[in-house]
Amino acid sequence: MRHFALFLAKTAGRFSRVLGRGGGTSLPGMILMKLRPRTFHEMVQELEEGVVVISATNGKTTTARMVGNAARESGALYVANTSGANLASGIVTALLGKTPDEKLGIFEVDEAALPDLIPELQPTVLVLMNLFRDQLDRYGELESTIQKWKEMIQSLPETTKLIVNADDPALAFLGSQHQNVEFFGIERTRYGSETIPHAADSLHCQHCDSALQFQQITIGHLGLWKCQHCGKQRPEPSFAGTNINLNGLNGSEFTVTSQPSTTSLHIPIAGLHNVYNALAAFAACTTLGISTAHILKGLSTITAAFGRNEVVNFGDVELLMLLAKNPAGANQNLRTLLLAEEKINLAVLLNDRTADGKDVSWIWDVDYEMIFNRIASLTISGDRAYDLALRFHYSGFPTTNMHIAPSVKELLKHLKGSVKAGERAVILPTYTAMLDLRSELSKMGATHSFWEEK
Amino acid sequence: MTEIRICHLYPKEMNIYGDRGNIAVLQMRLQWRGHSSSITPVGLGDDFNPNIFDLCYLGGGQDRDQMIVANDLEKKSSGFLSAAMDGVVFLWVCGGIQLAGTGYTSSDGRRIPGVGILDLDTSAGDDRLIGDLVLNAELEGETRRVVGYENHAGRTFLGPDATPLGSVLEGYGNNGEDKTEGAVQRRVIGTYMHGPLLPKNPWLADRLLEWAIEHNTGQTTTLSPLDDSLENFAWEVAISRAGMKR
Repeated sequence: MRHFALFLAKTAGRFSRVLGRGGGTSLPGMILMKLRPRTFHEMVQELEEGVVVISATNGKTTTARMVGNAARESGALYVANTSGANLASGIVTALLGKTPDEKLGIFEVDEAALPDLIPELQPTVLVLMNLFRDQLDRYGELESTIQKWKEMIQSLPETTKLIVNADDPALAFLGSQHQNVEFFGIERTRYGSETIPHAADSLHCQHCDSALQFQQITIGHLGLWKCQHCGKQRPEPSFAGTNINLNGLNGSEFTVTSQPSTTSLHIPIAGLHNVYNALAAFAACTTLGISTAHILKGLSTITAAFGRNEVVNFGDVELLMLLAKNPAGANQNLRTLLLAEEKINLAVLLNDRTADGKDVSWIWDVDYEMIFNRIASLTISGDRAYDLALRFHYSGFPTTNMHIAPSVKELLKHLKGSVKAGERAVILPTYTAMLDLRSELSKMGATHSFWEEK
Repeated sequence: MTEIRICHLYPKEMNIYGDRGNIAVLQMRLQWRGHSSSITPVGLGDDFNPNIFDLCYLGGGQDRDQMIVANDLEKKSSGFLSAAMDGVVFLWVCGGIQLAGTGYTSSDGRRIPGVGILDLDTSAGDDRLIGDLVLNAELEGETRRVVGYENHAGRTFLGPDATPLGSVLEGYGNNGEDKTEGAVQRRVIGTYMHGPLLPKNPWLADRLLEWAIEHNTGQTTTLSPLDDSLENFAWEVAISRAGMKR
């Protein structure tokens, strides 16, 4: 029965790809879970070298990719859901493609699906990176996800090593309830701020409900936090990021202080959020027993995951795609763009399909204003382009300087005609808008399909 | 040239559905007509002085934050009542409509008092009412189609002194049962509609602003029309996303 179920599921995946229906990154898993759900558990049992599970609102795809890169350097053979399908069906689909000598699993998991998947995956290492408000129509309030994670951590076996971002107050508090835990975080840096951004979450103490004090804010509500009322404070990270130098859009240098050693490294993908991703990956890899030399090699040769910091050459124009699917992520992308000393040809795409969230009100929590004086040209597109146009209009951005493209095809045509040869256009798309754009670009031969992601 | 004084209540706690957008619309639509405005944030522990504002805004928040805010509002509630009686304009959205009523009964039976500027009461339902929301809104004899999004667990029922803001064409509205949405009483408007509400419904924004100007100057006024073509396109798209024909 197992063989027959596997055969049917894999065949469906091949058909899905042949028919061009989204690459079959979830369908085989869905079929297998219907035919013989027990197979999921059996396939996980075969991962003798361990299972790494990574979850967060932002950064899971890139971090999983970093862990995979370092594992590959160390000679480990692993299976991973690299195409971003991060529900049960996507993970089972990845497992279906596993070869017998792949003994390590590296999975990114959707934050809402995580609690139900933990008993199935029985991770050796569980990395929890951040929780920001995201798709309120689908995930509900942030606080309800925090409560579900709290119950999940309470029933986590002692053997699971938990790796948690010390700078996220709610997660750090939950993480410290587990015995087998290590923290990562960013120490004082000149890129930190003292002001809490608009619409930041988790500003109250999980223990006593009092307002938290921050000595430093890095991203959203992440930072050096303390509750003046009950004394709970950011735990000391055993993987601490120091001496950070953000080198424009080209990447960053920083030091990981992890007693007894300090390690300096360079990552070729930009922004403070990728420093967090690298610290999480560093901690996970160290726990897996991967040598520092292999981790360094893996991190310094990391390339962007599809749509995340991805550069595509489109004729004479370079397109830089920065996935922007929630306020914290979008704000962080905008701040990263400010690191470059140049005027920006900006395109913003807003869709409201299921994977994006049907409620588009989150765009009003993004601080687009910070880059207004750097915008050379602004193109707006997506299913809800006019909502975006209003977002800019009511911040005083002149409508006469805004171009609205009715489709991704029209958007690309407009960029080709308006951006000078050799210049760069920066694109901030929501998830399905990014897939649409990449699909159009891969039809034109400018990039690969997302299901071919390695 | 009038300076309209806008009070933004609890912007740190109650901002979950792009509430900042409603404030931006009020401010810019005044500015484009040559009026200035001031936005005063009023937060936890701050005094609320009812006599210095023309319009008072409160948005939506997470349950946990709404509890913290409800406790603080109790200390300010007499200020709100006298402001509402005096003709100050209120727009209280989502969590706001619940806090404007007589109270809220949570799923575990706890009673959270409201400030009592709208005759309505709310209790938590078993599930959240989520999705596109389209109304036939009626205000001072004028009927318009208003579009937005709703996401709330509360079921709100109006008492005799409050009138619904509109009847539900698509979505759930106050309680998913009686097809009413929102509430109006004097110049207090409560609604579950976010999206945010005002950018795609400039007609409603202008009514609120005319009331606020009247409160400020003591004279009725009609605002000059603006080019609302972007607003109208966005409105049309939202109506069709909600599965309705224009």
